Amino acid sequence: MSEQNGQKDTVTLTIDGVEVTVPEGTRVLDAAQRAGVVVPFYCYHPGIPTRPAQCRVCLVSVEGQGKLQPSCVLDARDDMVVHTATEEAKLARKSVIEFLLVNHPLDCPICDAAGQCMLQDYAFETGQLESRLDEPKQVMGRDRISDDIMYFADRCIICTRCVRFMREVAEDDALIVAERGHRAYIDTFPGAKLDHPFQGNIVDICPVGALVHEDFLFKARFWDMDSTSSVCPGCSNGCNVAIDTKENQIVRLKPRHNAEVNSYWMCDHGRKHLVMANRGIRAEVPLLRDEDGELRAVDWAEALETVAGRLGEVSGGRAVVSPHDCNESLFYLRRLLDGIGIEGGSFTVERGEEATLSGFPKLKLRADRAPNVAGAEAFGFARSDALARPGEGEALVVLEERLQGAPSELDDEGFGEEASYFLYLGSRISPAARAADAILPVTSFAEMQGTFTNWEGRVQRFDQALREPGIARPAWMVLSRLLDLAGRGEAVLEAADAFERMAAETDRMAGMTWASLGLKGARPAETAGSGSGGA
Amino acid sequence: MSDGLHPAVAGSQPYMLADRQGAASSDEPLFESEAGRERLEKILSRYPSKRPALLPLLNYAQERNGWVSGRAMEEIAGVLALTPAYVHSVATFYTMYNRRPIGRYLVQVCTNIACHLNRGEEVMERFLEEIGTRPGETSEDGLFTVMEVECLGACGFATVVQINDEYVEDVTPEKVPGIVKDLRDRAGEGGA
Amino acid sequence: MAYPHRHEDETTTLLSRHMGEEKARHLEAWLERGGYEALRKAVDMEPDEITSVIKDSGLRGRGGAGFPTGMKWSFMPGADDDRPHYLCCNADESEPGAFKDREIMRWTPHLLVEGCLIAARAIRAEHVYIYVRGEFFPVIRILNDAVAEAYEGGYIGEDILGSGWSCDLTVHIGAGAYIAGEETGLMSSLEGRRAEPRVKPPFPAQHGIFGQPTTVNNVETLSAVPMILSNGADWYRQWGTEKSPGTKLWCCSGHLSRPGNYELALGVPMKDIIFDVCGGIPGGRELRAVIPGGSSTAFLTPDELDCETTYEGLKEVGSSLGTASPIVMDETTCLLKAMRRIAHFYAHESCGQCVQCREGTEWVTKILERIEHGEGKMEDIDNLYDLCEQLTGRTICVLADSVVFPLKSSLDKFRDEYEAHILRDTCTAS
Repeated sequence: MSEQNGQKDTVTLTIDGVEVTVPEGTRVLDAAQRAGVVVPFYCYHPGIPTRPAQCRVCLVSVEGQGKLQPSCVLDARDDMVVHTATEEAKLARKSVIEFLLVNHPLDCPICDAAGQCMLQDYAFETGQLESRLDEPKQVMGRDRISDDIMYFADRCIICTRCVRFMREVAEDDALIVAERGHRAYIDTFPGAKLDHPFQGNIVDICPVGALVHEDFLFKARFWDMDSTSSVCPGCSNGCNVAIDTKENQIVRLKPRHNAEVNSYWMCDHGRKHLVMANRGIRAEVPLLRDEDGELRAVDWAEALETVAGRLGEVSGGRAVVSPHDCNESLFYLRRLLDGIGIEGGSFTVERGEEATLSGFPKLKLRADRAPNVAGAEAFGFARSDALARPGEGEALVVLEERLQGAPSELDDEGFGEEASYFLYLGSRISPAARAADAILPVTSFAEMQGTFTNWEGRVQRFDQALREPGIARPAWMVLSRLLDLAGRGEAVLEAADAFERMAAETDRMAGMTWASLGLKGARPAETAGSGSGGA
Repeated sequence: MSDGLHPAVAGSQPYMLADRQGAASSDEPLFESEAGRERLEKILSRYPSKRPALLPLLNYAQERNGWVSGRAMEEIAGVLALTPAYVHSVATFYTMYNRRPIGRYLVQVCTNIACHLNRGEEVMERFLEEIGTRPGETSEDGLFTVMEVECLGACGFATVVQINDEYVEDVTPEKVPGIVKDLRDRAGEGGA
Repeated sequence: MAYPHRHEDETTTLLSRHMGEEKARHLEAWLERGGYEALRKAVDMEPDEITSVIKDSGLRGRGGAGFPTGMKWSFMPGADDDRPHYLCCNADESEPGAFKDREIMRWTPHLLVEGCLIAARAIRAEHVYIYVRGEFFPVIRILNDAVAEAYEGGYIGEDILGSGWSCDLTVHIGAGAYIAGEETGLMSSLEGRRAEPRVKPPFPAQHGIFGQPTTVNNVETLSAVPMILSNGADWYRQWGTEKSPGTKLWCCSGHLSRPGNYELALGVPMKDIIFDVCGGIPGGRELRAVIPGGSSTAFLTPDELDCETTYEGLKEVGSSLGTASPIVMDETTCLLKAMRRIAHFYAHESCGQCVQCREGTEWVTKILERIEHGEGKMEDIDNLYDLCEQLTGRTICVLADSVVFPLKSSLDKFRDEYEAHILRDTCTAS
């Protein structure tokens, strides 16, 4: 019990023998988490304000109280003694699972949630593996509650997380519980479909396989997927995500929690459009234009030597980048351009309508539909509505990685025709690239490590989720080699090293290290003086 | 011209009107008329916010139309600043809101324990036989809908049958044909 | 329909004195019968004084729980609380077997109105909501008229009886949900929501309707308030027992010669009610079982009927007084069918929030149906016992516990009925 100014503001209680002190007003479930004690729950979700205490699976024994108490709403008090694993509490938990399994169909073999299902998990934990049910199960069927989300009513455990997410976080009271008792189910207004830019989150928070994305249906088993921490490239919000892949294909995006960026959520645009990254014709090997004017595949050694040599003769021109390029790549490109007299540079960015998640307003689908606009601008590239074509005698260097979306000037075959020397680094061969003198294949962000800078200057790491196609390499790796060959820098092979070099020369990254960015990223230190550490 | 209702009881007007003319299948707008607006205002005046007026307004929809349609739910949602989905959630929770048009006479037979002990199920069967429908179905002539319900709160006088807003008590299977005939006669006299 | 029976002993017709007198519904005639005298007294008393009298009288909630009324009122915040306070009158009478509140409202609506206003003053309420179940149209019409009359007469509204105190009253009707009769379910329903009960704490007296301090009382409870205030706590205690003072409006149903309402002092032996007051079972048949207090109470066998009909008396025999609504079953009753029908009711009325209740009440019903149809197994009895445990003390409200009372007692006391159906596909009813 601690006192400040004579006012109590913490309480100390014991949970399963562990003493823990928490702020007053903390509920026992949260206090248990702090004490390292795991209490199961369904209807509670840390990102949803209300706690209906209706799933009854978080019941615990409290000394002095006759009945088991729902720990998600029970206020922690001084000297409270809580036991989460008494025989009575364990029996109660097991009983909830048994009741849920009464009408829940044994769909595991065909249910997307298998392997990541809280009902499966708790059934195994509580040992409720056999049924004494001898009645036919209730059948309620399934429903398409939006164009892309299906609701399997039989699997639903009426935890109401989806209802409350829509009502309290999306602030759109469009999903409700209809009927009552064992006939209850989740529904929209009859005839209406859910249509909200953040509706996909209800699939994430569904503890079971009642709500599923139709475009993920039957695509991958949980245990066949690899999951990689990354940052959504859909807009400049920089939502932390996990990219789930199977056999080197992106099958799903899910949000990762970041209290400073996106809480537990992400938007539907972000979920969906990255799946398109699996498509398109990729640049897989370096290509050089030979004397006959044909593009010829070469190995990296020859490509880099040749390009470095030709760049040595360049003095001035234009540069085009993409707001999908990572910080490291842009940093090295800027160094390279400095050395060949190309100043400035521009990029275009696809724009779209904004959408805010009312219950967590910091999370917006932002107008800039690219993850590193801030990074591109910080490295001296300017946003532009139209890219200026290079004139005669001007060189052109393009660092472009565009996943999909609105056509860009680079779709115009004639874009670089006039250039004296046209170097193209890209993940896809856009029509303009066919006029390039050299095409160096670089990886998309999902195929490498790097960082993006989001709308408010937060620098966040993303990890490699897919294998590089062919012998494509991260742009920062390629550019650092070119610099090395020009005698103006050291080549790097690791993203961490690339980051360290960059941070050392970039004020707004002062004090940041690759390690310190961790999984949540960091904003520039706001200090009056210069050079103080911490991120 | 006022409806003469005291605001204290504006929201508690009986709505399964005993001799409603015609089947309960209209879907008139509720609040476009002066009468509807007057009723709405009186009801709203009794609560510190809008949501509590929801059940009274759903009752009003049944008073006007005999049932609650999707359109009515949307209209009610509009005047209460609620979503139609929310209104749907509340309306489907309660058993008295008819989600489909019903017959002129809604015959609700209790078969809960006290009536069960006094041949309530037989009374139910008899009604279905006399009228020729299944539970919840409306007869072709639009006169009757028969439903089985839970305790109506008149257990000493089992079996209890509620027909629109009247309670008919001490019903035995033998009395059922007479009751049905009376209702048909009443409907015939009233016209349509 | 006229009030069907008048018990021979007139000395206990306190609430029911004027039942059967159609005139008594109207203000003028009601005033002639002494109506609103207690309210006149109440407006000159301090709120806490009124609560004191009710506390001393020992009046207990008549909605089934039997909680001391005066104590419930004293939970409300006191004079230094400036939030609006509310009184909800629970007229959602939906407990199978109970039909007393409707009688009070349909014969003596002004008595209820008066009781509500006095209670409102005691708890410093500014608005009373009478929540009546939607099915009660004949009753609602009468109540509506009485409320309008009372407003006109200055018994409700601004400056009541010239006292300077104001209080409003609204009649609010339900739409078919037993669970709206649960205190917090009622509050949810009144707020325009699904009638879903709420977790306590917070308790209604701190956080009730519209987030404000609220007290919920039953019709019969509130209707007893005027006479207690007029005549005093001691007067009320001349009936009943120390722990269960006063009279009770009984609701007798099932296989009886004279079913109906009877007002009796608390404490009359159960068998006297069944055999004397209600004239026993017609046709000379034998009694088989009684559910004494509405369907949410445990069965009693014929040899358990010497018990006193008080809160404590029925508790002693493992049941409860509930709403004082005995449902009497004679020897021709198949108790399995009866139990199945009771279970079906709870499954139908479950609000669906808590997993145990939502799934368990329906599961129990299905098991009983299967046994009824000759496909039962002996394990079903063990499973039913176990389910009784799983449905007790685990949920937000006590609907789940309520199905356990009759179910467990039927398993305990009428096991032979279950076994006959399971093992021999026959019934032990005659």
